[in-house]
Amino acid sequence: MSVMCRKLCSSILFEHFGQIVQCVAEDLFKHGARPLELIRYATQLPLTKVKEALCVLIKHGFVRYSQAEKGLEFSLIYENVLLVLRYPKYMFFVKTMCGDESEMILEEVLMNGYITASEVITKAYKKIEQSPSGLQPSVPVLKEKFELLVKNQFLIHTVEERRNEKPDFILPNLNLTAIIKKIEGDNNSDPGDSKIYWKVNFDRLIQDLRDQIIVSAIRRRLDENAGELMRQLIFLMYLRTASWAHTSNPIPLTEIKEAVKKTNYPLLTHHVDQYLHLIEEDSSQFLKRVGDSGGGQFSVNMKEAFEQLAWATLENIVMERFGSKAARIFRLVRDKKYIEQEQIQQLAMIPAKEAKHLTYTLLQENYIQMQEMKKSGVSAAPIKTFFLFHIDLNVVVYMEVEHCYHALYNIMQRREYEVNSNKRMIDKQLRMQTLTTNLKEHGATEEQLAEVLTKPLQSNYLQIADMMTPSEKQQLDKVQNTIKKLGITELQIDDTLFLLTMYLRYH
Amino acid sequence: MEIEAGTSKKQDATNADTNPFEIIEQKILALAQARPKGISDKDLIIEMPDLPTVQRAQIINKLLSQGHFDLFKQGGSLLYRLRDPSKAKIAKGADNEEKIVYSIIEEAGNKGIWIRDIRFKSNLMPTQLSKILKSLEIKKFIKAVKSVAASKKKVYMLYNLEPDTSVTGGAWYQDQDFEAEFVDVLNQQCYRFLEKKREQMNSCRGGPIMARNVTFASSKEVWKFISDLGISKVKLSVEDLEMILNTLVYDGKVERTLSGDGSILYRAIEPLLDSPGLIKSTCGVCPVRKHCCDIGDVTPTKCQYITEWLE
Repeated sequence: MSVMCRKLCSSILFEHFGQIVQCVAEDLFKHGARPLELIRYATQLPLTKVKEALCVLIKHGFVRYSQAEKGLEFSLIYENVLLVLRYPKYMFFVKTMCGDESEMILEEVLMNGYITASEVITKAYKKIEQSPSGLQPSVPVLKEKFELLVKNQFLIHTVEERRNEKPDFILPNLNLTAIIKKIEGDNNSDPGDSKIYWKVNFDRLIQDLRDQIIVSAIRRRLDENAGELMRQLIFLMYLRTASWAHTSNPIPLTEIKEAVKKTNYPLLTHHVDQYLHLIEEDSSQFLKRVGDSGGGQFSVNMKEAFEQLAWATLENIVMERFGSKAARIFRLVRDKKYIEQEQIQQLAMIPAKEAKHLTYTLLQENYIQMQEMKKSGVSAAPIKTFFLFHIDLNVVVYMEVEHCYHALYNIMQRREYEVNSNKRMIDKQLRMQTLTTNLKEHGATEEQLAEVLTKPLQSNYLQIADMMTPSEKQQLDKVQNTIKKLGITELQIDDTLFLLTMYLRYH
Repeated sequence: MEIEAGTSKKQDATNADTNPFEIIEQKILALAQARPKGISDKDLIIEMPDLPTVQRAQIINKLLSQGHFDLFKQGGSLLYRLRDPSKAKIAKGADNEEKIVYSIIEEAGNKGIWIRDIRFKSNLMPTQLSKILKSLEIKKFIKAVKSVAASKKKVYMLYNLEPDTSVTGGAWYQDQDFEAEFVDVLNQQCYRFLEKKREQMNSCRGGPIMARNVTFASSKEVWKFISDLGISKVKLSVEDLEMILNTLVYDGKVERTLSGDGSILYRAIEPLLDSPGLIKSTCGVCPVRKHCCDIGDVTPTKCQYITEWLE
């Protein structure tokens, strides 16, 4: 875990949970697992605050506790902190899979860490009531959506770590009328699921994002039909293989055909064999034919797939950073494994000077590595030494992961800075918004509203400082755009980070 | 016919009468020509058993002194090897130094030899050597060729030799300069050709495999297309074009496969991924990332690049 990663986690925690939590987490970062007393001593915070912070961190799965010789020890799981960056993506994914209500339920669960079913339904109900979107809140619908989420394994029981139980997805019997009563303000009704807590099944969501990457890669490489076939293959893979296995167990052709028939792709159904052949023959090697029984057995090779994808990512990065000629050299070195400078310029057909410059730039930036080969039994004369270039994929991937952390941290810092430096204006706008809604609620017409807002001097309600001048408005728009843009970039960088971490997970 | 044959026979006979040595000489030379590796005394005895040893030695000595043969020693026995005529030519009207330098240059073949290496091998003084080289050059026995490997390095080789591609650089060099633009243009044209092939795929109705097979083009086809375009002043070989196509493979735009009959097939492909999100941000392509820190000159809050990008 590097300095950059630490900084990134720290600023994520600061943004979402505030300074105290950040402070406690920072301490755990620096020192590793340690007991409560030491954390208190190091952070100089009141004990209650430290406890509170730890409680929040544990609830969200960022901190793990274990029984040591002298009481409990706490340690931070930084990977989980980084997952926070991906929450919007998970929510979007669930939204497309299961609909708007499900997204809200998921959001509630994410915000709370873990929560009971009845509680989350209550909260989502209230939220829908308040939100301006045209959704009608209804408890049965929400319950149905909750069940759907559980059925898709997006939510999971929280199980105490010590009990080595299999994760279970059994739904409790919810007392709907009690929930409705609770929403109406009756706190005594019992919905029948106390102490059955649910949390988000990140593992499952990560797998879904992983599958999306694979499917879209095949779609790009071949076509829509091949993409769909890949999706079906991954579904079939789930049925017979442990979730993070490197390769799937063999899938017989008959089953693939069966699965494809159910989809609505006539062309694909017609040409299943040919498409399988194409994916199998493609240089990306996502699919392997492993046997001939039953018309052919196929196996999805996740490990290989992510190696290929990581290569593609790195090649793209090199291309954007150093130009297409550098990318050519990078691919050439990859292809030849070990290669001399002389050969590089010959095969890449780049003028000697430029080729040398690019090769050594890549070397300097650690995208390629150099291996010295001495002829045995001779003195160290330079002519007797070969310098071979090669690429150590793991090294480069780790470097790029670091790069992602750095970029994410920078973008976050910048966003915070933009927000802070325009805080006054953003607050002002918020105030105005509440004011307008208040006025509206009190029955003011549109005209009156316009009058109030445009003629500040005549208004009794407002002081001049609370009004927006046109230039201020412009400025505000700009700031909001900036923040939005930075937010989008953050998600994009995280895409790359996700892909590279997937590669590291498999290798 | 008969008369003619008769007269020629007669002539042969008179020749043999006038100079029996010459006939044997011709025979030995013919034998040597048939065996470019050289002939030994044993071979001569087998071929001409009726020739007395003394006479044979006389003839060989004469031929050696006239410069028709080189004498070698191989595995304890002597070998006579025929000198090629160009070398015979220099034998006349040249001093010993010139001969030595010439033979050194000749050994180097069409790869040529650098003046410094000649000096080491011949142990001649630089001034003397350059004089000799100049005189040989004027007589058109040798020529100087500029090497592409190092622009200032001249290499010498025999006048009638075609320089090796490692010296001239092949089709991609003109006057020792690598023609990067020419290569780039060819690279683009080849890609355009393969792209067009790929577009045909959409109109193909024979199933996905058929559609894919349409996109393949052999190096010969591409070569024909480029030749017909007429963008190249030099004549390109299929191998030259394969080099260009390989650069496209390294560009990640084209895939290479071997077909059943051993020829190499190429086709345009789509990359697996879009450009990754990291490099869509300024930080992904930042040139001063190493200096970027919370404090100091480069910080994310006052970064000029981010500001420009946000504008």
